[in-house]
Amino acid sequence: MQATVLWITIVLVVIIAAIFYYVIRSSTGSATPESVQRSAGMIRQLLFWGALVVGVVVLYVTLRPWPHSLPGGEPIVVNVTGAQWSWEVQPETVPVGQPIVFATTSTDVNHGIGIYDQNMRLVAQSQSMPGWTNRVEYTFTEPGTYKILCLEYCGLQHHEMIAEITATSGTAALE
Amino acid sequence: MATQAKAALASDLCPRVAMAVTGLVFVLLMVFGLLMRASQAGIMPLDPALFYQLMTAHGIGMVGASGFAGAAIMWYFMRQYVPVTNAIFWAITVIFLIGVVLILAAIFLMGAAPAWTFLYPLLAQSGGVWDANAALVYLIGLLLVGVAFLVFYLDVGWATIKAYGGLGRAMGWPQLFGAGGDAPPPAVVAGTVVTVVNTIALVPGAAIILISIVNVLIPSFGIDALIAKNMIYFFGHTFINAAIYMTIIAVYEIVPRYTGRPWKSTRIFLGAWFATLFMVMAVYPHHLFQDIVMPPWMLIMGQVLSYLSGFPILLVTTIGLLSNLYGSKVKWDLPLALLTLGVFGWAAGVVPAVLDGIISVNTVLHNTQFVPGHFHFYLLLGLVAMAFGFMLWLTRSRQSSSLSGFANLLLWLYVVGGLGVVGTFLYAGSASVPRRWAEHLPQWQGVDLIGALFSILVVLGALYFLIRYVVGFGGQPTSTEAAE
Repeated sequence: MQATVLWITIVLVVIIAAIFYYVIRSSTGSATPESVQRSAGMIRQLLFWGALVVGVVVLYVTLRPWPHSLPGGEPIVVNVTGAQWSWEVQPETVPVGQPIVFATTSTDVNHGIGIYDQNMRLVAQSQSMPGWTNRVEYTFTEPGTYKILCLEYCGLQHHEMIAEITATSGTAALE
Repeated sequence: MATQAKAALASDLCPRVAMAVTGLVFVLLMVFGLLMRASQAGIMPLDPALFYQLMTAHGIGMVGASGFAGAAIMWYFMRQYVPVTNAIFWAITVIFLIGVVLILAAIFLMGAAPAWTFLYPLLAQSGGVWDANAALVYLIGLLLVGVAFLVFYLDVGWATIKAYGGLGRAMGWPQLFGAGGDAPPPAVVAGTVVTVVNTIALVPGAAIILISIVNVLIPSFGIDALIAKNMIYFFGHTFINAAIYMTIIAVYEIVPRYTGRPWKSTRIFLGAWFATLFMVMAVYPHHLFQDIVMPPWMLIMGQVLSYLSGFPILLVTTIGLLSNLYGSKVKWDLPLALLTLGVFGWAAGVVPAVLDGIISVNTVLHNTQFVPGHFHFYLLLGLVAMAFGFMLWLTRSRQSSSLSGFANLLLWLYVVGGLGVVGTFLYAGSASVPRRWAEHLPQWQGVDLIGALFSILVVLGALYFLIRYVVGFGGQPTSTEAAE
């Protein structure tokens, strides 16, 4: 996901840069304002309708299913409570292949849980707020040790708020 | 001529001083940014307490300076059309600077480091790092800055009503909805939209500051953390976007003087600003996508409006600039190059911003360095470039604005440095590096180092622009006309 987003960014930024370069190169030449306005109007219309269609498609694709939806039934719940500057994670071991709901809150200020896989790639996150419990679902697909990093600035030792959670395919899960 | 020049300088003195102050702040805070990147890279490690103080000063300083630069630009051009008050601009400059001094004192003398967003209740609950006095001084400083801006907008708003008979008329609503006659010039349309949205945004902004002050004094008095977050982001998002909108007025006003092609308030232009008026205030929930307890309809609204907010920028201002330049036989100089760069930075920065404004994407990019990647795109390469462009246009002479040789080199240093700073942030974000971390893991530090090196180029370029401005401080923008 992240790499795709980066590549889309690079491609679109290069296209915008190329358009600016072309116009800057053409700025010292001569063209009547009327002809330029006519062309600009057509380009604007094309972009408007094109972007609108793309927008509707992107909206549909990215919002169905609802990104924050939770699994039905009685999923395994991991309670993650933040406090300056540590996490309390309960339980610390979960099974692979089953939806896990992280229920997260805070006892003091705003924190944020970022769940990182074994390659330190962010796979899910949620804010941890005092007075509220956010619930985010994630299914571990590989056994191993995952990290929970604080992703909301919370003061001096914000960068030291790191906890671990183990995903296992054995019987040790939830014990 | 000399007398005319002196009179012009006297009437411009306040915005000129304001821009000098903001230019200096920009460069200083860029150095802070460089220090933070160097620290994250591990080549010059800072104590985390100092890192977070620099981070707070960098954030609040850049937002404040951007707003102030935008206000000076807006004031400079709107005074051609509406009777704004010179004395009030001087007064708000003084109030603003007192607020800045208090904020800096709270950060560097008293240790406050709540980040510019000061998410409630961090100021009152610092974990023992700073005390209640530091929090109070910080908040009072913020309040003064807020008061300065509120007085500014009230003065501009009152002057606009006097000149146009109403804010709706000043935004060209009669012409937008079919009435005849000429619409107000683009500077007035954009300036009035900003006046309305920022006046509204300052109310919850001031309210959360006051609530935080009471909370520091009486800890048992609190507010719901989610409501507080909504208030802060409603204010913060609107304010920083309005800062860009104010700065873009320089493009609307200055570029036509180079090309000889007027920038007209067409119905499309008026419609874009009409839409912006509402969208800029309603889009802020895109900062709260990971606050999952938020009502889903608000999050969906945030995603939809994030996407639509790009339309006016790309379809009206960017195409407007490009069609103004195309085939205009324009003679390029440094101010025009910086203004054009600014619109590019704004337009290009929309791309990663819109992508991060998709909820499912945001889940794996929010609060990573992808976020400073996109906002540095439209601030560093957008707003700041336009502000320097305005400054150098304001004080230009044929010599001082030349784009040959050394000036060209420094401009390119700024462009390449800026793209490098932005690119390394975006790359690091896609590699899941969290933002606002004083200490980085070894595997992240290679990109940090590259980012730090690019930051040096940015500082050199910005320092050059500032020096050129200071050297030409008494110059006049009178020879800008296309006929030259």
